[in-house]
Amino acid sequence: MIKSRPLYRPFTLDVSGRAHLVVTDQPELPEMVDLPSVDLEIFTVQTVSSEIEAPVDGNRRAFHAVVDLLAHLPRRLANDKIGLRIYAIGTEAFVWDVHNIARAAGLGSAEIHLTHAGSLRRRVYCAHCKTMSEDVTDNIVLCPGCGASLLVRDHFSRRLAAFMGVKVDAEIPGEIPAAESLYQ
Amino acid sequence: MKLRIEAISVLSPTIRRFILAADDGAPLPVAGAGAHVMVSLPGETRSWRNAYSVVSGPGMRDHYEIVVRRSQQSRGGSAFLHERAVAGDRLEVGLPQNFFAPSRIAGRHLLLSGGIGITPFLSYIRTLHTPFELHHCCKREDTPAFAGLLPSGATNIVLHTNREELNFRTLLAAQKLDTHLYCCGPEDFMNDAFGAARHLGWPEAKIHRESFGGVVSGAFFTVHLKKSGLTVQVRQEETLLDALEAAGLEPPSLCRGGACGECELPVLAGIPAHHDHYLSDSRRAKNDAIMTCVSRAHTSELVLDF
Repeated sequence: MIKSRPLYRPFTLDVSGRAHLVVTDQPELPEMVDLPSVDLEIFTVQTVSSEIEAPVDGNRRAFHAVVDLLAHLPRRLANDKIGLRIYAIGTEAFVWDVHNIARAAGLGSAEIHLTHAGSLRRRVYCAHCKTMSEDVTDNIVLCPGCGASLLVRDHFSRRLAAFMGVKVDAEIPGEIPAAESLYQ
Repeated sequence: MKLRIEAISVLSPTIRRFILAADDGAPLPVAGAGAHVMVSLPGETRSWRNAYSVVSGPGMRDHYEIVVRRSQQSRGGSAFLHERAVAGDRLEVGLPQNFFAPSRIAGRHLLLSGGIGITPFLSYIRTLHTPFELHHCCKREDTPAFAGLLPSGATNIVLHTNREELNFRTLLAAQKLDTHLYCCGPEDFMNDAFGAARHLGWPEAKIHRESFGGVVSGAFFTVHLKKSGLTVQVRQEETLLDALEAAGLEPPSLCRGGACGECELPVLAGIPAHHDHYLSDSRRAKNDAIMTCVSRAHTSELVLDF
């Protein structure tokens, strides 16, 4: 385990908070989330293909795409009052995107709780041309920016919410090992 | 460093402003927003070291300006400045220290002060480039003195002469997510503000307190010092640190306000009454250390490894 690799905790309510906002990139909160009996506001992502249900109550809001949720979040936080705790549950790229939006809105690390749930797929940052590749499940990926075959490292950038990818055949050009599907 | 009292102005019967400068007019070390200096003041039987916020702006290097309230239970420090100090006197002044600097990542600042606790914020309001709101609470008779220290006509600066008027709950509940809270004033004023803040879910990292000068008085107790073999009595109105110094010892100290942790001494027996903001709850529970500048004793005697 390398130091840049974040550790995640299971969802638990931070009782020091006055209000709680739970956001997930999934249609429903994962089963592991044992919802406490306090007022929570919940944002989920229900893509068009998933069954669209009416909100369970006024505190639930379903977005049609992760980008919609992430675009709404800064506007929502700009009007919020201190005492809020935000909980992000989902893939690593998603929870760190939420983290960075929350930090920009003025929340501190003690007010943000991240839980990794669902797929292990990674966002990969090309160390050569800075292009991001989303939803990478193999340990070697072709960079859509510069065409290099990138080895997906465990080195994680919280700022970019991405893993670092470096040219796998930098030493001997053309020698590219077979990719393994490690991040399902 | 030795600084000369250049000028004294009487702001109210209990509040005076002092201008301190070097004899040769040499530039003084920069004091950032919220910084204080320790000033050594001669007393009847011994000298006292008191912390005073530097209220002149951080750009001012030709002089330091301090505002001093005469403490009703003055041990000698503020009484000296009010009754005996005259322009031309030289005082020993330490380098500026800062345990109360404004947060650089805060988007907004909410400043709450009570009485003479306004002083660190006088440098804040000259420095802050991000939006702030200052609420100051004082006695009605002190209003002209404080109003004179503050810019007039600023809508984000509010003077309150009645504690009821300043509702901490309402004020703290209305703050945006990027606000940091700063509080300086009497102990009960700060406890009320921080109690309300915690109840409303303010995280510790956004709560900043300045508390030097709040001399914690309490019951008389006796300290036995193992290494030096001395026994020292701590009177009701003096601190343990002051009592150790009066006994001719040179215990470690820095902020003298329970913030920095420099004055920590090991406790071998007895139960300390912790008044500092340095020790964690788990360290406090062990009762094996004491911050001599503010803490006292629950037992009539303490044994310290000093």
